[in-house]
Amino acid sequence: MPKRLVVSVVALIAGLMLSPLLGAQTAPPKSAVEEAKPDKWNTIPPIKSAYAGKKSGPAPRHDISGIWDAAEADGGRQPSGAIEHVALTAPRGQGVEGGRPDETGVMRPLHYTPAGLEALKANKPSGPSVRQVPAALANDPVDQCDPMGFPRTELYELRTLELAQTANQVIYLNQFYGAWRVIWMDGRELPKDPEPRWNGYSVGKWVDDYTFVVQTVGLNPRSWLDHAGRPHSEDLRVEERFHRVNHDNMELTVTIYDPKMYTEPWQGLNKFPLHLQPPDFDISELICSPIDMAEYNKQVGSVVASPPEKK
Amino acid sequence: MISKLRNISFLVVGLLAISVPLFAHHGNAAYDTSKTVTVKGTVTDYVWSNPHVFVKVDVKDDGGNTVHWIVEGQNPVSMLQIGWTKNTFKPGDEVEIDAMQAKNGASVAFLGGASPTAPRRRIMINGKQFQ
Repeated sequence: MPKRLVVSVVALIAGLMLSPLLGAQTAPPKSAVEEAKPDKWNTIPPIKSAYAGKKSGPAPRHDISGIWDAAEADGGRQPSGAIEHVALTAPRGQGVEGGRPDETGVMRPLHYTPAGLEALKANKPSGPSVRQVPAALANDPVDQCDPMGFPRTELYELRTLELAQTANQVIYLNQFYGAWRVIWMDGRELPKDPEPRWNGYSVGKWVDDYTFVVQTVGLNPRSWLDHAGRPHSEDLRVEERFHRVNHDNMELTVTIYDPKMYTEPWQGLNKFPLHLQPPDFDISELICSPIDMAEYNKQVGSVVASPPEKK
Repeated sequence: MISKLRNISFLVVGLLAISVPLFAHHGNAAYDTSKTVTVKGTVTDYVWSNPHVFVKVDVKDDGGNTVHWIVEGQNPVSMLQIGWTKNTFKPGDEVEIDAMQAKNGASVAFLGGASPTAPRRRIMINGKQFQ
């Protein structure tokens, strides 16, 4: 023990003596991860431009663990709704006037089956979308704090994720709605006729050194797919492709397979950028609390949604 | 060329997304986004909770009557991102807050600048500019 101590002290002194030289000659550029100086609690992600032009080391093999922030929008948040087939706005910035029964005229409308179109029309979103209705007429499960469910938690306001890996699982913690999932990597098959779950049943595997692909089934059809009220059936299968581009950056592609509702698969996210955060990043809480929502609806939501006062 | 087109389409989607104020639960249909109102009065309550933070303000109208106003913001995480905390307002504070009133004429308004992408509006607390 004393001998090891002596060696350590010698190494430390040598290191201190050499460090100015090393600093001058070989100091690598600091990555965005190292440069970020987060608060200790309720850490706020840096805006996307903070990442611009930052160099990153190589991606580690078979490793997506870490705290990842959705780097798409400034402020660290995906804008509301799916990115690839956005139904929030009409073309040419025609705005979100709302009131459309379906997706006629949106930039990249989805291809619905007759059952899918009927289900879409039954879902009445109050949030910004070409299908927006006044809040009093809406039936968005989120307005009552019903579970958002997967994949809506990923296709709507995705913010910060923490991923942890064990020998046989990836543990997925989503800031939004405090949703957690377990993705099994022990080689099990997906269940054939599962009882529905809001966040489904997930298995994942590495398809190459840097790409982890997750399949999820058994999703509760009472949840919506996104902010625009896109529906899904109990046959929905979601594929997530986490591709680690380098040490600091990952891309997430989410593909929706639901032949009962859609005549072809579609991508909600296509190479959506996620950025690695420092290891001491503390994720703020963002959950829907029914007691708070009821109070909000009573004091604010239902007041602004009521018909105009007669004078 | 394709990558250029792709960048442009990303930009277009980005701009459209940015131009949409993010009202999480009740759409902007409820608020008159064309006009700014200034809610000036005394804070009576400040609720820091989901889905949206809101502050209650007693305002004296022209006739000297007290009108109870509510100004709502965004969810607490988004508010933290623009520098608000649970201590930003306390009962008794004299405030002036720029916001957008409900279209139905209710004395409820949405904070201008609540979204990180929307323009900042003026907030005065006890005679001092907030941020």
